[in-house]
Amino acid sequence: MTDIVKLIFDLLIFPGGLFAVAFGLFLMGIDRKIAARLQRRVGPPVYQPFIDLVKLTRKEIVVPETAHLQAFRLAPLLGVAGMMAAVLLIPIAGVYQGFEHSGDLLVLLYLLSLPAIALMIGGSASSSPFGAIGFSREMVMMMSYELPLLLVLLTVALKVGLATGGIATFSLSEIVQFQLENGALLFDYTMLPALLAFLVFIPGNMGVVPFDIPEAETEIVEGPILEYSGTGLALFKLMTSLKVVVVLGLAIALFFPTPLGENFLLNLLWFFLKCLVLMVISITVVRTSTGRVRMDQAFKFYLKYPTVLALISLVLTLLQG
Amino acid sequence: MKKLLQKIAKKSPWLYRINAGSCNGCDVELATTACIPRYDVERLGCKYCGSPKHADIVLITGPLTARVKEKVLRLYDEIPNPKVTVAIGVCPISGGVFRDSYAITGPIDKFIPVDVNVPGCPPRPQAIIDGIVEAIKIWETRL
Repeated sequence: MTDIVKLIFDLLIFPGGLFAVAFGLFLMGIDRKIAARLQRRVGPPVYQPFIDLVKLTRKEIVVPETAHLQAFRLAPLLGVAGMMAAVLLIPIAGVYQGFEHSGDLLVLLYLLSLPAIALMIGGSASSSPFGAIGFSREMVMMMSYELPLLLVLLTVALKVGLATGGIATFSLSEIVQFQLENGALLFDYTMLPALLAFLVFIPGNMGVVPFDIPEAETEIVEGPILEYSGTGLALFKLMTSLKVVVVLGLAIALFFPTPLGENFLLNLLWFFLKCLVLMVISITVVRTSTGRVRMDQAFKFYLKYPTVLALISLVLTLLQG
Repeated sequence: MKKLLQKIAKKSPWLYRINAGSCNGCDVELATTACIPRYDVERLGCKYCGSPKHADIVLITGPLTARVKEKVLRLYDEIPNPKVTVAIGVCPISGGVFRDSYAITGPIDKFIPVDVNVPGCPPRPQAIIDGIVEAIKIWETRL
């Protein structure tokens, strides 16, 4: 019984649910502020994403006449639900254990593709031609960044698995535990290419500027979310903010989970700082300093550089093991 | 509670531009100087959005040519309530340099309720920002 209560608390209040939403929205607000400062503007206040959400709940909901109603309404819910579940699986060292079942890394891999699928369903159900274009582009993007992600996860799993005497361990909590005992993988030279590959994967997965091809605002006017207004759009914003937490949290769990000490709050603050630095490096600076690439360029880019980097790490790990 | 939500929500007006046959002068003022890049209305929480379904404040430029009239009216209907219309430039008011042309059907307020007029050909960026601030005040009462 207490297990179930704890699970619900985890899902709705502390690492998942309310906390994760606030955390993600706050991170995105800081992202907007830093981006504005980098462009020599004043920028919105850091709590702007919260205000946007409140505003969106007060707007009228417009549904296109030709849209498939159920799919159109359910798509954002699917994305948010998937991300809520994914946050549960992310361990924060010294704060939250994560799920102690083997194979949660694989579950996370599947959950990570849910936002893209939700966007695809929403875009195609909206019956707008821009939604359809966004749908096909989203699918191509997903195919291009999934391969490097898979290779990075496999490399880390093999590294930890071989070091602990098994073959590969697909349990995030075991990976974190291993790093707490033997030092973070960030300081291991064989893992540096994998880390770089993951850093390159983040902007593609988040859909920020050089790879915002599926939602290209100036070209196909936000693609899949074009027809959403009011709460539907708010749910998609919520999904994005949760996705920031999941993707950054996964990177930190895989490469640098080291906590500061025993203090709960201090560790949480440390996790926030790590997320912030990672976000500035891989999202904010990238999106303010580049322009959008074409679909085929993005596809080739992902199959070339991150894949090769991740493969280098994989081979090095296998040679070492 | 409603008052509080109103107060919070008014800080996030998203802008949407409609070009109703303008000569592009006002659009250049909107896109490159007045709003985001140089004078930064993002500090008021504004953001340009690509889709009419996300918009709160509509910025209309141009004298409403006969060819574009139906499309502008349709776009206007697609914008979810509550919304505020701001007419930028002298063209939406009187037709400006295109006045008495056979090709225009304006002024715009014959077809669309205009809340704020920002005259000028083109208006100064400061005037446009002032117009947006006026529009936010009107928008707050409709939220």
